[in-house]
Amino acid sequence: MTTTLIDAAEQAEAALLILHKKFMSGNRPPDALAPLNEAALKHFELLKFPHRKHEMYTFVNTKDLVATAFALTAEGSVTEDFIKSHVFPECESSYLVFVDGVLKGDLSDFSAIESAIAIVPIEEAVGQADIKEHLVDTIEKENDVFASINSAFLGEGTLIDVSAKKQVTSPLQILHVSTGTPSGKVTSHPRVLVRLGEMAELKMIVKYVGVQGNYFVNSVMDLLVGEQAGVTFAQVQEDATDAWHFSKTRVLQGRNSRVKAVNAFFGNKLTRHHFEAHLKDVGAELTLNNVSVLNEQEQAHHFVRIHHESPHTRSGQKFKNIVNDKSRSSVDGTVIVNQGAQQTFSDQLINNLMLSDDAHADNKPNLMIFADDVKCTHGATVGQLDENQLFYLKTRGLSEKVAKELLTKSFAESIIQTIDFPGVVQYLENTLLKKLEN
Amino acid sequence: MKTTEKSVSDVLDDKKYKYGFQTLIEADTFAKGLNEDVIRAISKKKNEPQFMLDFRLKAYKKWLTMKQPEWPNVHYPPIDFQDVSYYSAPKPKKKLESLDEVDPELLRTFEKLGIPLDEQKKLSNVAVDAVFDSVSVATTHKKKLMEVGIIFCPISEAVQEYPELIEQYMGSVVPVGDNFYAALNSAVFTDGSFVYIPPDTISPMDISTYFRINTEETGQFERTLIICAENSYVSYLEGCTAPQFDTNQLHAAVVELVTMDNAEIKYSTVQNWYAGDMETGKGGIYNFVTKRGKCVGKNSKISWTQVETGSAITWKYPSCILQGDNSVGEFYSVALTNGYMQADTGTKMIHIGKNTRSSIISKGISADHSSNSYRGQVKVNKGAANARNYSQCDSMLVGDKCSAHTFPYIESANSSVQLEHEASTSKISEEQLFYFEQRGISRENAITAVINGFCKEVFKQLPMEFAVEAQKLLTLKLENSVG
Repeated sequence: MTTTLIDAAEQAEAALLILHKKFMSGNRPPDALAPLNEAALKHFELLKFPHRKHEMYTFVNTKDLVATAFALTAEGSVTEDFIKSHVFPECESSYLVFVDGVLKGDLSDFSAIESAIAIVPIEEAVGQADIKEHLVDTIEKENDVFASINSAFLGEGTLIDVSAKKQVTSPLQILHVSTGTPSGKVTSHPRVLVRLGEMAELKMIVKYVGVQGNYFVNSVMDLLVGEQAGVTFAQVQEDATDAWHFSKTRVLQGRNSRVKAVNAFFGNKLTRHHFEAHLKDVGAELTLNNVSVLNEQEQAHHFVRIHHESPHTRSGQKFKNIVNDKSRSSVDGTVIVNQGAQQTFSDQLINNLMLSDDAHADNKPNLMIFADDVKCTHGATVGQLDENQLFYLKTRGLSEKVAKELLTKSFAESIIQTIDFPGVVQYLENTLLKKLEN
Repeated sequence: MKTTEKSVSDVLDDKKYKYGFQTLIEADTFAKGLNEDVIRAISKKKNEPQFMLDFRLKAYKKWLTMKQPEWPNVHYPPIDFQDVSYYSAPKPKKKLESLDEVDPELLRTFEKLGIPLDEQKKLSNVAVDAVFDSVSVATTHKKKLMEVGIIFCPISEAVQEYPELIEQYMGSVVPVGDNFYAALNSAVFTDGSFVYIPPDTISPMDISTYFRINTEETGQFERTLIICAENSYVSYLEGCTAPQFDTNQLHAAVVELVTMDNAEIKYSTVQNWYAGDMETGKGGIYNFVTKRGKCVGKNSKISWTQVETGSAITWKYPSCILQGDNSVGEFYSVALTNGYMQADTGTKMIHIGKNTRSSIISKGISADHSSNSYRGQVKVNKGAANARNYSQCDSMLVGDKCSAHTFPYIESANSSVQLEHEASTSKISEEQLFYFEQRGISRENAITAVINGFCKEVFKQLPMEFAVEAQKLLTLKLENSVG
C-alpha cells in the first residue's frame, strides 16, 4: 500500500511539472518573473507534495486534491451584478476585483482612495530592489508546498503600495472571484502584495467567492508592514462548497507596527489557511481572531505560525469553531519565540463547539520557546453547550430550539463582533450565523 | 530509594554525576550486530519456547521495514544498529539461593546506588527485582508476595513458568510493530520484570525494579509486563541510573500494563541515566522508551508518574488506552533538562469507552543549553460518550540559551466530550528570588523552594522515598544553572 501511495504522489508531482511547462510556454509569464517561477518550481520539487503523515498536514488529507488534474484557464464568467452583490457597503468605491487571480480594472472601482494607494502590477514592482528581494527570499525559505506552487505560477500578481504617513480612510476591499467551471477542474493562483510605509494606516477586507464550483484557489497574500504602521483587516472565505480553498497570509512586521486580522470561514470541501507572521522588530503587535461555522461535510483547517523575532513583541490569538453534521475543523497553531526575544507576551485560545457525534474537532496548539523572560500561554477546549445555560434560558420561556440557537450564535458572535467593519459584521450575522439555524 | 545514608553535604559536594563508576566483572557479551541468528541465539540462550521465538522474529521482520522516527524534536547522529551488542549478562553462575552467593562487586554497586537489596534491609518494605544489565540477579520479597498469590519475577523466568500469561498478554498493548524502537525491543529484549496480581488482591507492598546499564556499548532492552486482575491494586516503582561513558548508549524499553475490571496500577519512575558531559554534551544515554497501559476492564485505572532528570535524549510517552467504560488514566510528569540534554516526552490518552476520564499534569524545567518538549495526544473516539480530559503543561526556563516547547494534539470525534488544555511558560523571576533573599533565605534554597513549588502537584503523587529522591535530584541538577 505504501508503494502505491508514493507512486500517486510522484505522479502528481510529474503532472504539476507538466502543467508548469504549459504555463511557461502557453501563458508566458512576464520575462521579469520567469526566473522567480523557475526558482519556486525547484523549491516545489524539494518540498514535494505532503505524504499522509506529514507533520504539517496532520489533520488535512490532500490526497484527492493532489491526485486531481487541473486546467489553468477557467471557463466561467462574472457579471457586474455578481460583483456588486459581494462588495461591502463601506467599500462601494474602494474595491479591487481579481477574477481567477487577475486584477480586472474595468470591474474595480477605487476612486475613493485613489490618492492614497498605488496599484502596481507585480512585473513592474519586481523592478524595485526590496520587492524583488522579498520575493526571492520568501521563495527560498518557503516551507509550504502550496505557497511554492503559487510562486511557480506567479504571473499576474499585484502590489498595493501605501506610502509613508498615508492614511487610507475608507477600507479597501479585495474581492477574489473564482469563476470555476461546470465540468473538469481548474486552478488559479492569486497573488497580492501589500506594502505599508512608515506610519501608514490601512483598513482592508478580503473576500473569496466562487461563481460556480470545481476549482482550486491557491492564493498568497504578503503584508509588509513598515515601522509604526497599522493594518486592520478581515478575511471572509465563502467559496463554492465543492471547491478547494488554500490561502497563505504572510505578515512581516516592523518596529512598533500593529496588525489586526479576523478570519471568518464558511468552509468547503477543504479550506486551509496558512497564517505566517514574523514580528521582526521591537514592539510589534499582532491580533489574530478566527471563526468558522461548518456543516455537512465541510472542512476548515487553520495553520498558524507566529514568529517572535525581537524583544517586547506581543501576539494574541482566538479561535472559535463550530462543527455540525460530519464536518471537520482543525487548528494547528505554533508560537515561536526566538532566542533573545525577551519580554515577549503571547496567548492563544482555541474553543470548539461540537454539535454532532460525526463531527471532528482537532487541535494542536504548540509553543516553541527559546528565550526565558517571556510569558506565553495557550489553551484549548472542546465541548458542547452548557446544560445550565440551556436550562436558564428555558426557564425564561425559550424553547429548546431557540435557546440552543441563541447560545451557539453567541459563541461565534464573540469573534464576529471584533471585526471593525459594520458591513462585514452585519453580513456575517446574516449568512455565517444563518448556517446555525435548523 | 535509600539515598539518605549519605549526608546531605556529601551529596551536594558531589556535583558531578555521582553514579559514574563501572563494575568490573566479566560479562558474557555477544559480538556486535543484529541479524536473525542473533535473535535465535538470544532466544536459545534464554531457553525460550517456540512462540517467543516466533514473536521475536515477527518483530524483527517488521523492524526491518521501519524507519527511525524523525518527528520528535530531538537531534542526534543516526544510530548504527549493527554497532550495538544485543546481549550482555554477568557470567552465568549456578542458580543463587541467597544473597550471600551474589557477586560482592555487584552488591557493592547496588549499595552505592542506595538500593536496599540486602535482605537485612527489607525494613524499607520494598521488593526489588534488580536488573543488572540484562539479567535479573536477585529477587527479594518474592516469597512474601507469593503468599498472597502475586507473581513478581524476571520476565525470562515468567516465559518459562507462566508461558500462557506471557503468550496472551505480551504485545497486547504494544504490538510488535508499534513503532521503530518497540519493534527492535520486541525482537531482542533480554530481560525485565513480570508482575501478575491475582483477582481481589491489594499488593501488600510497593514493587520496585532498579535498572542499571553497565557494560559499555551495550544496548539495554528491557521488557516489563504488569497484569492487574479484577479488583486488585499495585504500585510499581522504577528507578534508573547508569555509569558514565563517552559513547552514547541506547536504551529502548517497552513497558506494558493491563488492568481488568476495577483494578488499578500506579506506575512511578525516577529516571536519572547519565546525561552526557555538562560542558560539551558528549556521551549520555539515548532513552527511547515505549510505555503504554490498557484499561481493559470497567472502572479500572492506570496512573503514570514520572520524574525525568537524566538521559542525553529522552523520547518517551507513557500512554493510556481507556477501553473499559468509566476507566481513568492519569499522567503526572516532571522533566528536567540541563547541559545539552534533549527531552521530547509526554503522553497519549486514547478514550474509547464511555465516561472515561483522563488528566495530564506536566511540568518541564529546562536549563543551560537543553531543549525540553512536551508532546501529548488526547484522542476521543466516536463511541467515547461523556469523555473528560484536563491537561495542564507548564514550562519553566532557567537561562536564555535553553528552549521549551509544547506540542499537544487534541482530537475529538464525539459531541458529549469536555476537553480542556492549558499551557504556560515562565521563568524564575528575579523578583521572586529577591523576595526570598530579603527574608534571609539563601539564593539556593530560594530556587529549591520555587522549583519544588512548581513541581508539587507531581511530587505529591510519588511514594514517599521517591518524592525525597526526586526533590534532591532536581536541586542537585539545577545547582549550577541558576543565578
